[in-house]
Amino acid sequence: MDKEATLKQLQEKNEKLTKLQSAKSDLISISAHQIRTSLSAIKWIVRMFINGDVGKLTAEQENLMKKAYEDNDRAINTVTELLMDNKREDLLEKKYSFEAINLIELVDDTIFDFSGEAHARKVEVIFLRPENLPKVTVDKEKMLIVLQNLIENAIKYSNQNEKVFIALREKDGAVEISIKNNGTPISGKGKPKIFQKFYREPDAIKKEAVGSGIGLFTAKQVVEAHHGKIWFESDWDKGTTFFVTIPCKK
Amino acid sequence: MAKTIFIIEDDEFLQGLEATKLKKEGYDILSALKGTEAFEIIDRKEKIDLILLDLMLPEIDGFAILKKVREESHVPKVPVIVFSNLSEEKDIERAKKLGISEFLIKSNFNLDELTQKVRELIGK
Repeated sequence: MDKEATLKQLQEKNEKLTKLQSAKSDLISISAHQIRTSLSAIKWIVRMFINGDVGKLTAEQENLMKKAYEDNDRAINTVTELLMDNKREDLLEKKYSFEAINLIELVDDTIFDFSGEAHARKVEVIFLRPENLPKVTVDKEKMLIVLQNLIENAIKYSNQNEKVFIALREKDGAVEISIKNNGTPISGKGKPKIFQKFYREPDAIKKEAVGSGIGLFTAKQVVEAHHGKIWFESDWDKGTTFFVTIPCKK
Repeated sequence: MAKTIFIIEDDEFLQGLEATKLKKEGYDILSALKGTEAFEIIDRKEKIDLILLDLMLPEIDGFAILKKVREESHVPKVPVIVFSNLSEEKDIERAKKLGISEFLIKSNFNLDELTQKVRELIGK
């Protein structure tokens, strides 16, 4: 077969695969939304039982309902994770498209997106918003994935009534983002592996059974595509802080 | 006089649960299962103190309803709580631009917490 025919065949196969990928992604998204709606109904009804809105429960019935509520919440988390992974996969397939933006707004938007999650987990998110910050040239959608991963992790791995601190500052010709929480620190064994694909800390799995272990791997890929750096500091005294720097000029 | 909440939700069962809870808290309820029905109620200039809005609706979606409320209704400044299972930034961003008070993801909140948000916005 000549080169031209092979190339044509490859292009056709590629187009077919792209269409299949898009159909798969749509199917996941629609199914996940429908499942989430049903799980919401279960959540509300079980809560009504626990509250005694439909009659007083025995202690045993109440315990069983509480268990059902927790298990249902776990199922909701699984579906949410599935939706986010699906979206990340779609986004990462797209080419980078850079624009000059102010990261303050992007951080604000991400905090807003996770306000429900923070509220549900009784975690307060505090943004130490700078007055001024130079713009950085980034792919906004992909940078959002980085912020989502880091902020979501900080919330998810905090304990109830703890705080997550987010700060932005200009440092050495770059904008530095730091996201700190006080949950269980990253173990000594986990530190060299934390950015590896599919790696999850044993304590993280214990706290949050659901998780794919690709969030930080993806974040590192995106940050490095912006010629930036990502690292962390973690111990029992100071908690865990993830840092990201993005150069002001790309 | 009791405050009126307009619930726009296409899932009849969920709508029933929301209405029962909010009625119990002393609110009057108006409801629509479809966008077209919501438009009719808005055009009738009914008393509305807060809108609880789902986004994925048949025929006319929640964004179109929100736009109508803001631009062509007798209650352009009414507080709107989006209560949906859509959670993509583009949806949140779009709704925020249309002046919503809250964007709540259904699966993250139970009805007690929803009621609390309603109370914070319009009181009892």
